Amino acid sequence: MSAAAPKEKPSTNPILWVARPMATAARQFAKSLIRPSTIVYPFERLEDPKFREEVAVAAGKPLGVGAVWDNYRGVHALNIATCISCNLCAFSCPDVCIQMVAVPDAQTKRLKKCPEIDYGKCSYCGFCSDACPEGCLTMTTRYELSATKRADMIYSPEKLYEVFQRKLPMNPIRLERPKNEDAILLDAPLCIGCNACARDCPTQCITMLDIPKPTPKPGEKLPRRIWKEPVVNDSDCVRCGTCISVCPKECLFWGTHT
Amino acid sequence: MSEMWINMGPQHPMTHGLWNLRVKIDGELIVDADPEMGYLHRGIEKISEDRHYNEVVTLMDRCCYVAGMSWEHLYILASEQALSIAPPERAEYIRTMADEFQRLGSHLMWYAAFVQDLGLMSPFLYGMRDRDLILDLFQSFTGARMTYEYMRVGGVRNDLPPGFTDRARKVMDWLVDRFREYDALCLGSDIFRKRCDGLGVLSQAQCVELGVTGPMLRSAGSSRDLRKDRPYSAYDRLEFDVARADAGDVTARYLVRMEEMRQSVRIVRQILDWLDTHPGPVMAERVPRWLGAPYAPIGREDYLLKRRYPKGVGFSAIEEPHGEAQAYVVNEGGEHPYRVKFRSPVFANLSAAKHYLVGYHVADIPPIMGSVDICVGECDR
Repeated sequence: MSAAAPKEKPSTNPILWVARPMATAARQFAKSLIRPSTIVYPFERLEDPKFREEVAVAAGKPLGVGAVWDNYRGVHALNIATCISCNLCAFSCPDVCIQMVAVPDAQTKRLKKCPEIDYGKCSYCGFCSDACPEGCLTMTTRYELSATKRADMIYSPEKLYEVFQRKLPMNPIRLERPKNEDAILLDAPLCIGCNACARDCPTQCITMLDIPKPTPKPGEKLPRRIWKEPVVNDSDCVRCGTCISVCPKECLFWGTHT
Repeated sequence: MSEMWINMGPQHPMTHGLWNLRVKIDGELIVDADPEMGYLHRGIEKISEDRHYNEVVTLMDRCCYVAGMSWEHLYILASEQALSIAPPERAEYIRTMADEFQRLGSHLMWYAAFVQDLGLMSPFLYGMRDRDLILDLFQSFTGARMTYEYMRVGGVRNDLPPGFTDRARKVMDWLVDRFREYDALCLGSDIFRKRCDGLGVLSQAQCVELGVTGPMLRSAGSSRDLRKDRPYSAYDRLEFDVARADAGDVTARYLVRMEEMRQSVRIVRQILDWLDTHPGPVMAERVPRWLGAPYAPIGREDYLLKRRYPKGVGFSAIEEPHGEAQAYVVNEGGEHPYRVKFRSPVFANLSAAKHYLVGYHVADIPPIMGSVDICVGECDR
């Protein structure tokens, strides 16, 4: 099942040793006069759509240069207005370059936490934009970023919003949520009904429902608690795990409904 | 004449990366050689223990900077075995295609660097230009040119964009024409042949003894290729031949790699035809939530007490462009792999430097070391 590689014999004519490679080089040179393989950056730019059709052009024609496609993973764009502060981008970052910082929301005038990205650490893996449930943190085709100070590499949410306002092509790939995803489950006997999960849920998909207060048997002492229990609306839940991390009694956990 | 040691590296045009070749010379003759690696050690295996299974993929791209996709594939195969997850068939084919693209890209990069070592500048430019087409294809479906982060445990990140297969076919057609030109430039030139024939000979028995794998082993007459001998992903469903040469010298390695590129084109064309007619999911249906597409680690590790994933170990071996790469992943039931171990083919191929350098001249070192196809990133990890 193996093919011995063919062995081309060099010509016996010494002139051909030079002439054949030179002929190939001359052909390539002539082709490059018609259509060069390079571009004159920064006067021409790869994100220019005209390069897109010419990339990997039809066989037999001189080659063009590459193009920056829409799914290129460059500098992020953040739409502050739709960010729900779910922390998923910061959680999913392998380089720990995303920090959630408080910025004023334009509509509600209240502070809310949005991602701040340190491009000195970022590896442009795109895990954050894959994880973003609202599609407000996306990656754009912008690839030029240089700074004279290290602090300038840290992009605050406002600066990321400026990138968003430039209306660059956004990464069109949106990952689908896996079907039958794990959901938030409640270990009911541990719950004290403290409302922490419902208060901190970024999508407000947790509602505290009243549960009947049992009548204590003689001699039995009822636990001190509020007689409410969280109920999670699974279709609205973005699976950020905030409720689990704020729960003081550790009574919420990941699992599948049985 | 007295013998002396000289250092070729860590900063030397011959080294292609950060490593040091110490050679003991007697006049022009090499009498001993001692490769020193480790300058580029980044502790990737250790960092992997602190990352989620999918996040390690970002390290794999940096592990080998000319064959990132192959290393992603290697790691993902081992992780999937450790986690008992099977990818859908379409994802397997896409992975195989990406692997072959990477082989083309890596061999073109090798070709460019190798001929440049011999002082031929034009083939270097042609090789790099044609490699750029492969990178373009990569960019159009992964979103990056070198650091792809494309494979995930249980599948691949996204499906191919529309019109991709036609674009890829055009590139393949273009490349096949170029291979003829490469041969005319190199094999047709007696100057090239005089610098390469009979140099750096390593016999098949020596290769086996020293753990030398990949094109170097196949150039010595062996037809060992993990794609045939231990098929992974979709290779058992594809038709291709193993490239082989018998001489074991620098020219033979050139021939093997050129033939491998032709075979890669053949494989890719088959896969493109398959992908056109078989749409489907590219991600496994059921993966643990912290492996799923939008996943989040939890603030506390306590939940692991309540919900653990089954333990297991995974081993994978793939035919990387440089040789046989192996990975071993231990899953102790947490979110992170307990231990990740890689076997780099370049490390073994380089360690044998003494056996294919001794007896040749100092001026032969660049062609011989160029034919080894060095990637220090994966060698040191």
